[in-house]
Amino acid sequence: MNWHAVKRQLNGWAILSFLAILLIVLPGIVVLVELFAPVNDNWQHIQEYLLPRYVRNTLFIMVATGVLTTVIGTSLAWFVTVYDFPFRRFFKWALILPLAIPPYIGAYTYHGILNYTGVIQTTLRNQFGITVDQSYFNIMSIQGTVFIFTLFLYPYIYTITRAFLHNQSSSMIENARILGRGSWDIFFTVVIPISRVAIIGGVSLVLMEVLNDYGVVKYFGIQTFSTAIFSTWFGMKDTSSALKLAGTLMILVIAILTMERLVRGRKQFSYASTKVKPLKPRPLQGWHRYAVFAYVSLVFAIAFVIPFTQLTAWTFLTFDTVFTEEFWQLVWNTVRVAFTATVIILLFALIIANYTRLFPSNMTRVISKVTTLGYSIPGAAIAIAVITLFLWLDDKVLDLARALDLSQTFVFRTTLIMLIFAYVIRFLAIGYNSIESGFEKVGKSFTEASRMLGWNTVQTFFRVDIPMIKGAIMSAFILVFIDIMKELPLTLFLQPFNFSTLATQAFKYVSDEKIHEAALASIVIVLMSGLLIFVSHKVLDKEAD
Amino acid sequence: MNKKYAALGISAALTTSLLAACASTDETTSNEGSDDSNVVNVYSSRHYDVDQQLYKQFEEETGIKVNVVEGKSDELLERLNTEGESTEADLFITADAGNLYQAKEAGHLQAVDSDELESNIPEKYRDTDNEWFGLTKRARVIVYSKDRVKPEDLSTYEALTEEQWNGKVLVRPSENMYNISLLASFIEVNGVDEAKEWAKGLVNNMARDPQGNDRDQAKAVVAGEGDVAIMNTYYMGLMLNSEDEEEKKVAEQLGVFFPNQDTTGTHVNISGIAMTKASKNTENAQKLMEFMSEPSAQEKFASVNYEYPVNESVEPNELLQSWGEFKEQDINLSALGENQQEAIRIFNEVGWK
Amino acid sequence: MFVQINDLHFSYKGAHEETIKGFSISITKGEIVSLLGDSGSGKSTILRLIAGLEMPNQGVVVVNDCVCCDDCQFMPPEDRGVGMVFQDYALFPHMTVEKNIRFGLHKLNRKERNARVEEMLALVNLTEFRHRYPYELSGGQQQRVALARALAPKPALLILDEPFSNLDTSLQHRIRDDLRRLLKQTGTTTIFVTHDEEDAEALADRIVYLGEGKIKKQIMTENNKTFNPQIPCFV
Repeated sequence: MNWHAVKRQLNGWAILSFLAILLIVLPGIVVLVELFAPVNDNWQHIQEYLLPRYVRNTLFIMVATGVLTTVIGTSLAWFVTVYDFPFRRFFKWALILPLAIPPYIGAYTYHGILNYTGVIQTTLRNQFGITVDQSYFNIMSIQGTVFIFTLFLYPYIYTITRAFLHNQSSSMIENARILGRGSWDIFFTVVIPISRVAIIGGVSLVLMEVLNDYGVVKYFGIQTFSTAIFSTWFGMKDTSSALKLAGTLMILVIAILTMERLVRGRKQFSYASTKVKPLKPRPLQGWHRYAVFAYVSLVFAIAFVIPFTQLTAWTFLTFDTVFTEEFWQLVWNTVRVAFTATVIILLFALIIANYTRLFPSNMTRVISKVTTLGYSIPGAAIAIAVITLFLWLDDKVLDLARALDLSQTFVFRTTLIMLIFAYVIRFLAIGYNSIESGFEKVGKSFTEASRMLGWNTVQTFFRVDIPMIKGAIMSAFILVFIDIMKELPLTLFLQPFNFSTLATQAFKYVSDEKIHEAALASIVIVLMSGLLIFVSHKVLDKEAD
Repeated sequence: MNKKYAALGISAALTTSLLAACASTDETTSNEGSDDSNVVNVYSSRHYDVDQQLYKQFEEETGIKVNVVEGKSDELLERLNTEGESTEADLFITADAGNLYQAKEAGHLQAVDSDELESNIPEKYRDTDNEWFGLTKRARVIVYSKDRVKPEDLSTYEALTEEQWNGKVLVRPSENMYNISLLASFIEVNGVDEAKEWAKGLVNNMARDPQGNDRDQAKAVVAGEGDVAIMNTYYMGLMLNSEDEEEKKVAEQLGVFFPNQDTTGTHVNISGIAMTKASKNTENAQKLMEFMSEPSAQEKFASVNYEYPVNESVEPNELLQSWGEFKEQDINLSALGENQQEAIRIFNEVGWK
Repeated sequence: MFVQINDLHFSYKGAHEETIKGFSISITKGEIVSLLGDSGSGKSTILRLIAGLEMPNQGVVVVNDCVCCDDCQFMPPEDRGVGMVFQDYALFPHMTVEKNIRFGLHKLNRKERNARVEEMLALVNLTEFRHRYPYELSGGQQQRVALARALAPKPALLILDEPFSNLDTSLQHRIRDDLRRLLKQTGTTTIFVTHDEEDAEALADRIVYLGEGKIKKQIMTENNKTFNPQIPCFV
């Protein structure tokens, strides 16, 4: 390669991308260094008494949640795309709504519904004089954990699979119909195999959420990898072993991501041609119609209507005590911190994605991989790395101030900048994934056409690239915004003085065993996420037409 | 061309202004915190509305602004560990003496020499070096079903490991700090071996795998899953005064029993306050500590959570009075911290989930 | 010579063998050259190299006395003054026909720009479709927009990648005659790529046969007899 080839790689896009990548790599390095550090006494103890249980529980939850979300997600996607039944158009987007309920809120809501003083048992006891066997109503178990994750995470698979079936499969499914295959047959012999890639993409998102969940397993007292990291760190005061666990978790996640990439291989989620004909739903006859309707309604009720209703009831119960002037401050805190972090993430994601797309080389491929790996770094590791980094930064600022003889300095730690910085590390991958796939879909020829017409890469970026992937940017914004809004461990750990968000407020009430008081903050999170989901659905639908 | 730069400009301006907006709210904290101005920065693991009221009252009386980070004890402690000497926090308020001991051991705290604190807070609820001070105390007791258990059958924590309670004892998971401190106190009183025997015996007698929080144990007793539960006194207070009628009904069917009255005494833990070594607002911090130990603050601070005030001139809440006085475990509270790691290991070894 | 390409070499990343192995050609002003070859013969790659969308391992590209690329410099595509019609046209879907054509005219002032847009719309016969979006046009119309867009900035060299592959056969015949007339009318030096010999014969002055990254043979077409490169043509 000659020298101007090297020069071509080193442009503004490259420099900005490297800076962004540095952020992600930093906590990764902290974890990896510790992974190879010598073991201490605690590690032996952890290995002997705890690790087998952590691994067993984590694997069980992953496998069971993976299977159940796949079954529910794909079957719903199939029914909604292929058949016409009452309220189909409503369910099409309503089935995404459970995503608006963060699993930890779902967890304490369901526990509140099912426990001894919950609405079900109370009604049975007071109205009918029936006292039930508690073990049937016990949700704080490993099975209960799977139940919660399944209910509130299946939409990941549902949305991806539905979009795929809707856009890509009409000819294949119609052919299969003409060839006289029955519905079941088509589902298993055509739908599942052709949407394999989409399904696996969705499952890997679900598993990532499960592995990094802190709220649900913490509340239910289930020992998994993520609780293990925190209890080793806080309980045993052993940062080194905690980071070792974090490293193990990170490797597990990387393995899942690699597997997903391998399976996907060169296949893309969408076919190159844009001239696909959307599938026309077929009306169902007789009892089938009602069976499908009943199934879809049941899922929607359990995953959204019931918990939402319960939260509403609790909100009314405690509204007067919980709703104060400070509550508006909470909402404002949540919105501004999520908005700022989301905007920064999208800027980074756009720059990196555009760089890796315009200048494909081994280096950019590595950059792209590393960006997606940000998802795999456990929250605890990000927290440690961020605090360490900001302490160092403040030290340097102080030195500088002394050298310049300034009386006041700005302190970066315990400010929102630190928290936002951590969010960027944690969620850049999510923004990047949507934007990268947006770019993948439009391809490179529009950019090349613009350059052939005399615009450089920066001009092209604003005039052509960004307008072309508006939809992808929009959905990236919504995904990241919702994720930040419900984020827990980082916000709890890095919050500045006098700062709470809706999520931390809800969690504080829950950990004080005040579930009813947590309802107002929770329901605001649910409503805001639900609204965003609705908006994005409308936008994406319009784009698809 | 212009349009493009406008778009770029707008997005840049938006981001910087937002960042500035974010930073500006904290500027007051950070800038003023760096010299001796009128603030005090608190890391607190308590999050009650009454705390906010007390801070407000303190602000009005002294003109000192109280800045608070509310979090869970262990998270705040770990944050202190990481921040070390650079921490912005002046005061650390947390439940559990074990946490306070940890903070002291890690060298994060400094001694406070105050006559007022010494007269308001009895010696046994203070650190020997005056590095931390208790504010409230709570007892970890046995709660029983009034229908099925006669209080005469209950005696000690140790007795719960006997045959007659097989399959009848309810308790929450071992990762909980209250349980860790309980076992730590047994290690102090009875030695490691007996403490381990006790934990093993209790696991053997459990009605179900440990799960849920203290309130869930109470509900499980009423639901008939077990007959007795180990839990903190203040949850009984909270349930008896709950907005939820059903929770009240549950609590009304339960009795509170203070164990080990004839032997080593009932396990008592505290929530407390400490000044960080790195504190930059020591005077203000000390004022807030003294304020919290005064009778007027003590009354509110303790009664909101149905805890016992440490200041002996303050009467506990009526409900607590109705349960009567009791003999407390006679140990140095630092022991809860010293034995913490040992306790965690024992729990893991005996398989207390 | 108007376009001069010397000893062009290129290999795709990770490939062991070079896709282009020493390609050289000279083109006179106003000439229409067709690169003809099977898929995989590297014909589209040569277009991308001339356009500046790929970087050669070695070789020189000179267009209209302007050195686009040699051993020590590489001019980015936007500075080359080369126009390109893409195989899939790559019309910007978020812009109308008029805006697509206007897109490349940013170096002109407003008045010149408007005049040029009108001129191009008239040239390709799409004046009444100016406010349509690309997806509201037929395949043949889309191609004409793409052509107008590429010709609007008066490129020194126009390159077309498989210009007929997206059209049905009946349309193809009519359009290639129209296209030739249009290119001659504007005097545009043109290189286009095709795998269809008939297309090449109908449109080009000269056909260059490619195989395995090299020139196999070159022939002048019947058209060439009526073509006199010495007479300059203006629009």
